Formats: sequence, structure tokens, C-alpha cells
Amino acid sequence: MSIVRILAVARRIIQGFRRDERTLGLIFVVPLVVTALLGWVIRDQKDVTVEVVMVNSAGPPGQRIIDALTQATIGAPEGIEVISIAGSEEAARAALRDGNGDLAVVLPGALFDDVLAGRRPHVTVITPGTDPATDGAALGAFQALMATLAGQLAAATGGVAVIPIIDRETVFLSASADALDVLAPVFLAYFGYFFVFILTGISFLRERVGGTLERLLATPVSRAEIVLGYGLGFGFFATLQVIVLTLYILAKVDVPALGPLPAFTIGLAVQSSGSPILAFLLAVLLSLGAVSLGIFLSTFARTELQIMQFIPLVIVPQGLLGGIFWPVDRLPDILRAVANVLPMTYAVDGLKAVMLRGADLGDAAVRLDFVVLAGIAALFVVLAGATIKREVA
Amino acid sequence: MTGSVPAVEAVGLVKTFGSVRAVDGIDLTLGAGRIYGLLGPNGSGKTTFIRMVAGLAHPTAGTARILGTLVPDRSLLARIGYMPQVEAVYPELSVEENVAFFARLEGRRDPAAVNRVLDLTDLGDRRGTPAMHLSGGMRRRLSLACTLVHEPPVLLLDEPTVGVDPALRAQFWAHFRRLADAGTTILVASHVMDEADRCDELVFVRSGRILVRGTSAEIRTSAGTTDLESAFLHHAGLDSEGRPLTAVSS
Repeated sequence: MSIVRILAVARRIIQGFRRDERTLGLIFVVPLVVTALLGWVIRDQKDVTVEVVMVNSAGPPGQRIIDALTQATIGAPEGIEVISIAGSEEAARAALRDGNGDLAVVLPGALFDDVLAGRRPHVTVITPGTDPATDGAALGAFQALMATLAGQLAAATGGVAVIPIIDRETVFLSASADALDVLAPVFLAYFGYFFVFILTGISFLRERVGGTLERLLATPVSRAEIVLGYGLGFGFFATLQVIVLTLYILAKVDVPALGPLPAFTIGLAVQSSGSPILAFLLAVLLSLGAVSLGIFLSTFARTELQIMQFIPLVIVPQGLLGGIFWPVDRLPDILRAVANVLPMTYAVDGLKAVMLRGADLGDAAVRLDFVVLAGIAALFVVLAGATIKREVA
Repeated sequence: MTGSVPAVEAVGLVKTFGSVRAVDGIDLTLGAGRIYGLLGPNGSGKTTFIRMVAGLAHPTAGTARILGTLVPDRSLLARIGYMPQVEAVYPELSVEENVAFFARLEGRRDPAAVNRVLDLTDLGDRRGTPAMHLSGGMRRRLSLACTLVHEPPVLLLDEPTVGVDPALRAQFWAHFRRLADAGTTILVASHVMDEADRCDELVFVRSGRILVRGTSAEIRTSAGTTDLESAFLHHAGLDSEGRPLTAVSS
């Protein structure tokens, strides 16, 4: 082993990087930018007030409890507020379904009978169920009201404070839904976008640097035909990919033990309320945008490594800002403005709406998601076409 | 072929890259049914000239016409066969798939056309082989097959025979001759002189300018030499060792 040769190899690498400003930027600047972005997103999220919808089936004593809770939350630092009283549990569920509230609390008719009988009463707490983290935060905030609730129960019955038993329910999915149930639909979009972008970018870069693009341009093929052909070709694989991912996410196949092999399960059996076809179409539309984006950005790369360098600039921010981990509404204003032009934001919103809330094309927000995704895909088809230069039309 | 219209016509073609004039005012008219050799060293402007004529690069000044139509015009492209300097084939596609792909882009769906150029380039028995598994010479042949498959009336070939073995090269030239006899105009760019005698006419270029044009015999005679390399040096104003000739005052 020769230290001279080892140093020669190391020196060669350093010399190479010295003339590759973009890679140097990737090493030093991009991690800083991404980390700063992450810090900004996490630390500067908007404080949200958990909005509570009360349902009173416990008569006048129940109303006194609601009044006390309402008073207790006015200006309280816990970030929870009673915003309305619904006439029934169904009405409260409808309010949550429409986004008018984060949490519903149902005081049952037997509330005081149970306390008087020495039993712990049951109180039903309903959350939307579309985001376990948000639901958990809402339930956490509700814990701050439990002391008030228990005190009111004691005052109303002249007994000792009793902590009620919380029966947890959700409007969408089930109360047992976990993070995977929520994240799986959006990962369907994210992974599809990521892989299609990388594959298209590298493939089209090869066309550019390998001379085949110039050869294509010496034939009667038009730029639009090239871009649309790419879209169809990669769209085919993107479609297959989305089908496979969708099936894996939604299905569950139990494979029995075979000889020495133990029984195992294939698929995640994620809870879904809506149409898998609509979810599939959303993911395909997003992927088609990724094809055009890959073609467009391949203009700015000379090597496959440089295509990979777009990942922290194009893919990671969409993961952070697109509503996958944090609701877009809670982002700082500037980042929310950025999120509003990212295709991932609309794909995630649409997929969550369809797969978690069971929304369909009758939902204006879902229609908007489709229109924006199609618009972004069309925009990048035009931009991609513009990067394919030839002196003829 | 329309009799009086030149197959290729360049008027005052100039292409600059920054301060470099890659093509420096070339006027050239090529008639139909002939083979022209565009000869000059690497960096003399041959490729840039061909790319401008094919409509793939925008001239800084001047115009080009193919078959009487001003370049660029997309409708012309079906009547041009352009073979770039690099192989420019799809490595993951088979030989046959590559040729069939370019045939379809040119509007040819006839399998016979594919078979014909595969036979010509002696790739018939490698039709199922992915291009990535071909030797450099074979890829060059494949590239030529992709260029010829739609039988265009104008062929612009940039170093078509590099890496091709002598026997096959002779076949290529015999085919080029048959095509020319049938009316095809062929412009072959090359930096080697040993194929020049196969061309009907030669155009020597250096530093983006035409040094001389004529038949091989005319050029040799005008230079007072028997070999084309010496003739090139003579017309470039260089001595036999490539040094500038000293000006002789009269």
C-alpha cells in the first residue's frame, strides 16, 4: 500500500470538486438551506386554537358545564376554545366534516345519573380522524379542560370530583387509525413524483448529452411530440407504479405458513374512505407533471450527478411544505405562499380528501386540486418543450 | 429532382461562439446526384457548417437552402438524412429497434426498409443485439443505418466511416455511389484524406473558411502535388511540416 497513491487519489477528487461549483454548493449550501427550511417550518408554525363543538344531552346541568367550559377557555393560554353548541351528535359530526371545528364533546344524558350512582361517567370526544397528530394535539388541549369539567360535575352533584371516561370517536376513518393510515396515501404521491422525476431527468439528460436528441431534432418530429411522447412513455410506467403502490397500500393478503416459512402479510391494508380510482388519477396527474419537470430541469444539468442534485432543491422542499407532515395552514405566511404553488400541495390535499375523507369530484376543493395539477403539468410541458432547442418549429 | 435547383446552397454562412468564428462566411452550392467531401482538420468548422445546413444551429449570418427551401423548415427534415459525429443511438434498444424507431419518426413503417439498411450495414445478424453490446464500429454502422432508412434525397454525413473496417467501408462507398447515381446528394465531412478520391468534388476548409474547391485531380494539380495532404497544406499556406509559408516579395 502506498500513501503516495492514496493521496494522489484524494487529491484528484479534491481537484475535481474545485471546478464543480454546483457540487460544492450541494455539499455546503443545500444542507444549510434545507435544515434552515426545516427549522423555519417547525419553529414558526402558526399557533392554532383547537375549536370545540359541544353537544349537550345532559339537560340544564349540562348547559352549566358548557357555560363553565366556555368561560374557562376565553383567553386561556391552552389554545382551546368552545366555538359552538350543536343540537345533536350528528350535527357536531357534520360541523367537523365541514371543517367547522376540531373537536366535538358530547355530554350524554346519563352523565349525572352515573356520577350520582358513583360510577365514572362517559363523555364522547369526536375528532376528524384524518390526522392522528392533529387529533392528538386537540385531545391534549382538551385535557386542560378536564379539571374544569370534573369540578363542574362535582359541584352539580355535590360530590367529589370525578374524572370522566373519554370515549374517543372519529368522523373519518376509525379511532384506531395510525400515522400510516394518513401518511400512506400521500407517500403514494410523493414516491411516485420522486422516482418519475429522477428517471425522466436522467433519461432526457442522456438524450441531450448522448446526441440522440440532436438526431431526433433532425427528423420531422416536433418538440411537442417529443415531450408528449415522453409523457406517455414515462406516464405508462408511472401508472404501473401508482397501481402497484395503491394496491399495496390498500390491500392486505395473508400468506399462510409454508413449510419452514412462517405466515406473513403482504400489503398495508390502510383505511380508506374514498375512491381508489380518483386517488390513482391524482397520483398519475402529479407524475405527469414530474415527467415534464424532469425534462425541463435536465437542461440545467450536464451529468447524472447534477440531476441528483436537484433532489434537495425540488423534491425535499415539496416534502416539507406540501402538507405531508404539517398542515399547510400552519406554515408561516411566506412558506404557505410557496406551498400554494407546489404541485405536491394539491396532490396531498386531494389524496387526503379522497382517501381519508371520502371526498369525490362533487367536492369543490378536490376539483380545484385536479385543475391545478393539470395546469401545472401543462405548464411544465410547455416549459420542457421550450428547452428543446432547434431552429425549426 | 428538380434540375436547376441546387440540393444545398449556403450563402455567407457565419457562426460565432463568443469571439471564435467557427464558420467564417462560407458560400457553397452543391448539385444533385453527387458526392461532396468536406475536408479539413478537427475544429475547422465542418460540423458547425453541417449543423447549420441541417437547421440544427442558427447561423450568426447568412442563409442556407435545401432543395430550394430556406432553412430552417421542419418540412425539409424528412428529406434530409443527418448522421452526427457521435453514434447517437439508444444503447438499451436493439439494433432493429433503433432503426425501426427512426424509420417511424420519418414516417416509414415498412419492415423492408429496416431490413434493407441492416443488410447494407452488415448488421442483419445482430438485429436483436442491444446497441450497448456493439463495438464502436458497429454502433457507427447502426448510426448510418438510422440515417439512411428513409432514403432522403440529401445526406449530411459527419465522419460516417470512423471506426468502420476497410472492407465494410468499401461497401459503404459503393452504396453512397449507387445513391448518388440515383440522384441523392451526399455531403461527407471528414478529417482524413484517404477517402477523398471517392468523392466527386472536394471542399477543403480551415478556420471556418473554404480554402479550395474542385475535383481531387484539380486540387492536386493546382497545388502541384500528387497527394491530397500536401495539397491541403499548400492551399492552407503551410509548408510540408505544417509551418506557415514565408511570404515572398515580388
